[in-house]
Amino acid sequence: MKLLEYEAKRVFAEYGIPVPKGVVIRAPEEVAAHLPDLGGGVVLKAQVDVGGRGKAGGVLMADRATAAETARELFSREIKGVPVGEILAEERLAIEHEYYVSIAVDRSSRQPVVLFADAGGVEIEKMAQEDESAVRRVVVSPLLRDIPPFLMRELLGGAPKELAPVINCLYHVFQGKDAMLAEINPLVTTPRGVYAADAKLIVDDNALARQGIAVNRDLSEREREAEKHGFSYVELDGSIGVIGNGAGLTMSTLDLIEFYNGRAANFLDVGGGADQERVMHAVRLVASMPGVNVIVVNLLGGITRCDEVAKGIIAAGVTPTVIVRMAGTNEEEGRRLLAGCGYRMLESMDAAVKAAMEVSL
Amino acid sequence: MIYGDKNLGVIVQNITGRQGTFHTELMNAYAREVGGRGVVAGVAPGKAGREVHGVPVYNTVKEALAEHDATASVVFVPAGAAGDAVMEAAHAGIELAVVITEHIPVHDAMSAIAYAKLHDCTVIGPNCPGLLSPGECKLGIMPAHLARRGNVGVVSRSGTLTYEVFDELTRAGIGQSTIVGIGGDPVIGQTFVDVLARFDEDPHTKAVIVIGEVGGNLEEEGVRSTDLPVVTYIAGVSAPPEKRMGHAGAIIEGGEGDARSKVRRLRALEIPVASRPSEIPGLIREVL
Repeated sequence: MKLLEYEAKRVFAEYGIPVPKGVVIRAPEEVAAHLPDLGGGVVLKAQVDVGGRGKAGGVLMADRATAAETARELFSREIKGVPVGEILAEERLAIEHEYYVSIAVDRSSRQPVVLFADAGGVEIEKMAQEDESAVRRVVVSPLLRDIPPFLMRELLGGAPKELAPVINCLYHVFQGKDAMLAEINPLVTTPRGVYAADAKLIVDDNALARQGIAVNRDLSEREREAEKHGFSYVELDGSIGVIGNGAGLTMSTLDLIEFYNGRAANFLDVGGGADQERVMHAVRLVASMPGVNVIVVNLLGGITRCDEVAKGIIAAGVTPTVIVRMAGTNEEEGRRLLAGCGYRMLESMDAAVKAAMEVSL
Repeated sequence: MIYGDKNLGVIVQNITGRQGTFHTELMNAYAREVGGRGVVAGVAPGKAGREVHGVPVYNTVKEALAEHDATASVVFVPAGAAGDAVMEAAHAGIELAVVITEHIPVHDAMSAIAYAKLHDCTVIGPNCPGLLSPGECKLGIMPAHLARRGNVGVVSRSGTLTYEVFDELTRAGIGQSTIVGIGGDPVIGQTFVDVLARFDEDPHTKAVIVIGEVGGNLEEEGVRSTDLPVVTYIAGVSAPPEKRMGHAGAIIEGGEGDARSKVRRLRALEIPVASRPSEIPGLIREVL
C-alpha cells in the first residue's frame, strides 16, 4: 500500500531523516494559524495518491500573503481526477542541490537495490533512459543491517558525504517498515543541512498487519466484501463474470474472453485452498454485479479441491448461468456433485469461455 | 528430473496443518505409485511423537534429520513464520526447500533466500505449487494425475496455469520431464534463469515451456539464457494497467512488466508466444 506523502514523512522523521516543517490542512482557513511556524515561503502539496502530481498542478508555491488564497485554489482542483481533500503545507527550503535516492526490491538479484542520481526532482525512468550512467545502483544483502561504507562510496560517487547517513536511515525505513519502495525525490542540500523534500513509501501488502497499518481505500460495496473474504477482485465493464483459482489462470481466462472478443464483467481469484464457504461467497459476489448474466468458473485443483468448489457453487444458488470447467484434485467427485444438480460442465477453458460467450450475447 | 528423483527423501514442515496433512497423503500416494521414497518425516513444533498418515512427526527439522535420511523439505508453514522455517531447514542441512505458503512478506522472503544460499540450500517459491517430475517425484501440491512422463520441461510463475498447461500437453500426447512452479511473488528463490540452467543440463529435457505473467522482466532474462527450444505463454494481456490482478507478481510496474510489451519483446527474439494455453501443444511440436 502506498502511503501519502505526509504519512511517509512522519515515518521518515521517526527514523531520523530530516524533513521540512509542515502541517496537514483540510480547509483553506487552517493555513493562517500555521504560517508563523512555516516562515516566509510556503509550499502547498495536494495529498492525493497519483503519479506525476507536480506536473498535474498538485504542488503550488505561495508566500504569507497569498497562502490562504492559493490553498483555496488547490482545494478546488482535481489532480488527475482525484479531488483534493488534504494539503501538506510546508516551509520552503533554500535548496542548493537536488539528488535522487530510492530503495526497492530487486526481483533479479532478490535483494534490496539502492538507486542514486546526482540530479533529483525529475522522472528517474526518463533520466535513466537518456543516460544510463546518470543513475548509480548497488544491491545490499538483506542480511545486513546497514549499507556498508564501501557500497555507500560507490553509490555516492562525487556527491557530498553528508548524504550518506540520510540514505542509511532510508535503508532502515525500507527494512523496518517492510517497504517495497522507499524514495526521496528530491533529496536536497540546503545551508541548514540535508532534507527529504518529498517522500514516497510503499509498504508490502503482506506485511500491513504486522506494521499495524489498516488499509483505507475507497472501495465499492462488492470490493469491500471481496476484501473481507481475502479475494483478489477487480471490476471491469462486460457481462461475463469470471471466477478462477490462482492469479495466472484467472487472468488467462480473462485474456481468453478478450481473444474471443467477449467482455468480462469482473475477475475474482478465490486463492489457494478455497473451501465450500469461500466459493459460495465468491459466486454470490460475482453474481451480484449488475449486468452479469453468465459466470465462468475455471478451476484447477491443486491445493484446492474440486468437490469443495462444487459444493460452494451449489450452495450459492445464483440466477446467472454458471458454467464450470474443473480439473485436478478430487475432480470426479466435484463433477458428480455438479452434474447431479444440472450444472453445465465443459472439458477445456476454451470450450467454457465459448459457451459463456453464447449465453452472454 | 532436475531437482530430484525417486530416491529423494522429503520432510514436510507444518505437517499437522490442514494442507500439510492432506498433501503429505497425496505426495506419498504418488511416491507409492512410482516406487519412490516420498515424505519420510514431518515437523511441527510441540507435536513430536504424533503420526500423520503413518509419517512420524518431530519438533524440529534437526530432530527429523537425525532419524531420517532426507534432503528436501516442503514448507506449509503459515506466512508469518514461513521465512523462519526456511532458515531452520537450511541451517539443519536441507538442500532443497519448496515453499508452498502464500502471502509471505517480501522482506522475509529476501532474508530467508539469502540465508538459505549461505547454507547451499536451494529455495523454490514461495507462493508456488512445487515441482513434479512425472514418474519420479512430487514435491508440493500439483495434481500429478494430469501429468505424464516425457521430454518437455515446464517452468511457470503461476500455479494453476501450470496445471492447465500440463493438462493440455498430456491430452495432446506430449509428456513432461519436470514441471516447476517458481511462484508469482516479487522475490522467489529460483527464477526462470536458474530453472532453465538446470533444464539445459538435463538429458531428459528436449524443449521448454516458459509460462509468465504481467510484472518484471524475468521471462525475458530466462529465455535469453537457455540453449533449448522454448515456447512461452504470458498471462494478463487483458489486464487493465494499475489494477492488481491477484498476487503481488501480477501488477504492472511502470510499463516495464505489462504483458503486451512482454509478448512483443519475446516475439522480437523470435520466440514463439502462444496467445492462449490451448495453442501451446501445437507450438511445442513445431520446435521439438
